[in-house]
Order: sequence, then C-alpha cells, then structure tokens
Amino acid sequence: MGAFRKPLAFLKRDFLINSSYKAAFLFQYGSIVFSVLTFFFIAKLFGKNVSSYLVEYGGDYFSFVLIGIAFYGYLSTAMGSFTEAIGKEQSCGTLEVLLLTPTKISHIIGYGALWNFFFTSLNVLVYILLGILFFHFPIAKINLPAVIIILILTIISFSSLGIISASFILVLKRADPINWLFSGVSRFLGGVYFPISILPGWVQRISRFLPITYSLEGMRKAMLLGSSIKDIWPDISALILFSVIFLPLSIWGFKFAINKAKKQGSLIYY
Amino acid sequence: MIIEVNKVSKKFIIRKNLIEALCHPFKTRTVLALDSVSFQIEKGESFAILGPNGAGKTTLIKILSTLILPDEGKVKLFGYDLKTHSEIIKSRIGLLTGEERNLYWCLTGRQNLEFFGTMYNLSKKQISDRINELNNILEIDDWDKPFETYSVGMKQRLALARCLISDPEVIFLDEPTKSLDPGSAHKVRNFIKETLVRKLKKTIFFATHQIDEATQLADRIAIISQGKIKACGKIEELQREWKVDKHTSLNDLYLKITG
Repeated sequence: MGAFRKPLAFLKRDFLINSSYKAAFLFQYGSIVFSVLTFFFIAKLFGKNVSSYLVEYGGDYFSFVLIGIAFYGYLSTAMGSFTEAIGKEQSCGTLEVLLLTPTKISHIIGYGALWNFFFTSLNVLVYILLGILFFHFPIAKINLPAVIIILILTIISFSSLGIISASFILVLKRADPINWLFSGVSRFLGGVYFPISILPGWVQRISRFLPITYSLEGMRKAMLLGSSIKDIWPDISALILFSVIFLPLSIWGFKFAINKAKKQGSLIYY
Repeated sequence: MIIEVNKVSKKFIIRKNLIEALCHPFKTRTVLALDSVSFQIEKGESFAILGPNGAGKTTLIKILSTLILPDEGKVKLFGYDLKTHSEIIKSRIGLLTGEERNLYWCLTGRQNLEFFGTMYNLSKKQISDRINELNNILEIDDWDKPFETYSVGMKQRLALARCLISDPEVIFLDEPTKSLDPGSAHKVRNFIKETLVRKLKKTIFFATHQIDEATQLADRIAIISQGKIKACGKIEELQREWKVDKHTSLNDLYLKITG
C-alpha cells in the first residue's frame, strides 16, 4: 500500500480541486453528449454510402467515429497532461515547495497526470455507454482481452510522446514541436474521423509513422469485429515497437531536460 | 558543520530580444548571480544573508535547497554532496518564502498538510500527530476551511506549518515577512526567534533585505552584494573587520560595505 500512497494523494488532491469546479465538470459531459449527437446525425446523413471504406470495420460510420473520438482523448491527454502537471503547479505557486519534498520530479509529473488519465477513461466510458444505450453501438462481438492490451500499449506509447513533449517544455518553455507534430497531425492522419484508406497512398504511408493509426485500427477491430489478439497482432507489434523506441527515449530526454533546467535555474519557471 | 558552501558560482543566461538574436545569433549574454561564495553554518545557528534586491540571495537559497545546480563550487548539507544526494537532503530541509501562493487554494489547511506530509513519506498517524503538534505551536484557529479564505497572516502560518510538517533540521526562509503587515511580521519574527531557534533548536538560514530583521534574528550575518559575499560574521566581528567603532549600527555598516 505504501507505494500507492503518493499517487493516491495526487488523485485525491486533484479530485478535491476539480470537484470544486462543478459547472466545468457538468459542461464537460454536456459537450460529450453533443459530440455524440453530432456524429450520430452525420452518420445518419451519409447512411450506408460510406460503407465501402468501412467494410473492414463493420460498415457503420457512427461506431467507427465513436471509437475514434473517444480514444483520441488518450492521445491528447498523454500529450498535454505531463506538461500541464508542471504548469498547474507553477500557476498555483506550489511547484517550488513540491520539488523540495523527497518526491522525484518524474513522480510529481507522472502522478500529476493520473487524474487526467482517470478522467479520460471516464469520458471514454461515457462515450461508449451513450453509444450503447441510445445509438445502437454494437458490443456483442467485443474482444475484451484484445481491447485491454491495445489500451495499455496505447497509453504507454502515447505517454512516452507526452513525456518527450514535457521535456521540450521544461527546456524551451513554450515551443513544443512534439505536441504539434503528434497531436495535430494524428487527428488528421491517424484515422480519427475517417479511415486512412480514403487518403492518397503517399499520405497513408505517413500515417503509418503515427502510433494512433495502429491504436485506433486495433481498437476498432477488437471492439467492432471481435478480432483476436492474433488477428490484430500487426497493430499490437507496431505499438510495442513504438513503446520500445519512445519509452527509453522519453526517460533519457526527461532526465536531460531536468538537469538542463536545474542548471539554467529555470526549473520553477514555466 | 551542517552547511558547507565552498566557492560557489552561478551565472544565468539572459534571454535575447529579437534584434539581438538576429544581429548576434551565437553570442550569449550572462549575468553573474553568485561569485565564488563560501561560508559554513553550524547546527542550531541562525544565519542571515543580507543584501539589496538582485544581490543573489534567492539564487543562493535555491541552490542550497536543491532547486538550482551551481556552475562551480561545492555545497554540502549534513555532510552530503548536494549534487549527488539531493533526495536525502530534501527530506531534512524546509523552505518558506514570502510568497502568498504556496499552498493549494481550493484545499483546506488540513488537506494541504496531509498532501505535503504524504510527499515527505509520513504515515497517516505521523501526519495527524504532527498537525496536532503544529496546532499547539502555531495556534491556527481552524484547519478545515479552504486555504483561500484565510487571512494573509494565517496563510503565512499555514505555509510555516507546511514547511515544518516533516520536522526539518534546517529551515530556509526567503524574505519570510515580505507580504506581511508590521504586526504580522513582528509575530513571525518572534516565532522564528523564540520557537524555531530557541525552543526547537532548528538551524535557520534566512535571506532578507531588512536590516532590523537580520539584527533581531541572526547569530551571524553575511552581507552580499552583486553576487559576492563582502563580509560575514557576528556584528562585532564585522565592525572590527571593517574598522568602525562598536557603536556603528548595522545599517551604517551595511551602507559602507555595499558601497
């Protein structure tokens, strides 16, 4: 239990802080409802006309896009939460006193992002539940072990990118090429709103360099078609490869950034 | 010696504006914040670093409290090298600044202390006992209201409680009375002198630009100007070193030393 005390303390702190802003909490869920409704009616508008591109995902645009927007949340959370963890402490004026405690800065940033991941998971659940309860989102074929494996690998590979992004922010303060590259480009090329097979061939090849492409592909196949781990192994192995490359790189980059910021004297400035 | 500072220097790079960056892209401008600073502090001592704004006091406190790495020189706390043993050092020090915002405003006083106590690896029981002890020392009337609703003076007491939650051996104070009215500042100074130094035997290192604060609280004073320690010792030692008579006030001596 001792090992969990600090992460739990961060979760409790962020719950208490966030629950004091009840209106923002409610608006967040209101916007999820409107987002689901928007895509439901877009799907209704096109009917089955888009199905040729969607055959490999079961043929239903609403189910396709619901998974896209729900799980894209993990990418934006991973890309933003680690830097946000530093920024929030800085704006509260607590970064300095927190860095003075015998808690490693990597833990401060990691635990500080936990609430956002928890909240994103809650959002994903709400998206999927709304889809199931009101819009006939299919769950009969779902392969839960495959979904869990894809989810874990998604969080690891996206978080590695988020940690690299936080390292840039620690040193450069504002300019963060990683966040721009992966958040912005992934939304367009990663197959969030449409299947990448609709894109020109050379653009599709670029999208193969983005972890979100494999994450969404694997997730859709496991959720909508009930594909087995063996069936989605190409997506799983790609995500493992991204994790193996980016995780050590992110840890090294983060240590380098901390050391540089401590030497610059800019660790406490955001 | 509990703190040993040996020839510590620190330079900061000054950010270039657009014109400078275009005209001299490879030239860096630096400012010398600390210039070969050396001193030692004994256990239980109250030591003041006195100097004008921008003299390097805060930089020195941030180096001693592990937030900034020096460019040159060696710093040891409790016999541990600051560069290699910062985690051990951090568990034995506390820092209080004069800033009003250093606790979470939406959390209550108690919730803040529980959070920071956990960060210092204290158990639930230890935190609860410590809050009771601090209640006796600091006389905080209500621990269970949001931090933002406390008065400025009470906020500073809670910040002190946060600083003392881990029962640190060395306490760094960076202009602790900066944002307080004269009455509250007087109470904080009394608390530092009577409780922290005399009763609890803490080692105190504090930065100030207020001469009366240094006189009232410090056993020894280091006068710093433009990153250099110009004089260090008890007031009578400084008077002898700077060849002024013993009735010369610290104020006059300070003006003479800092030019």
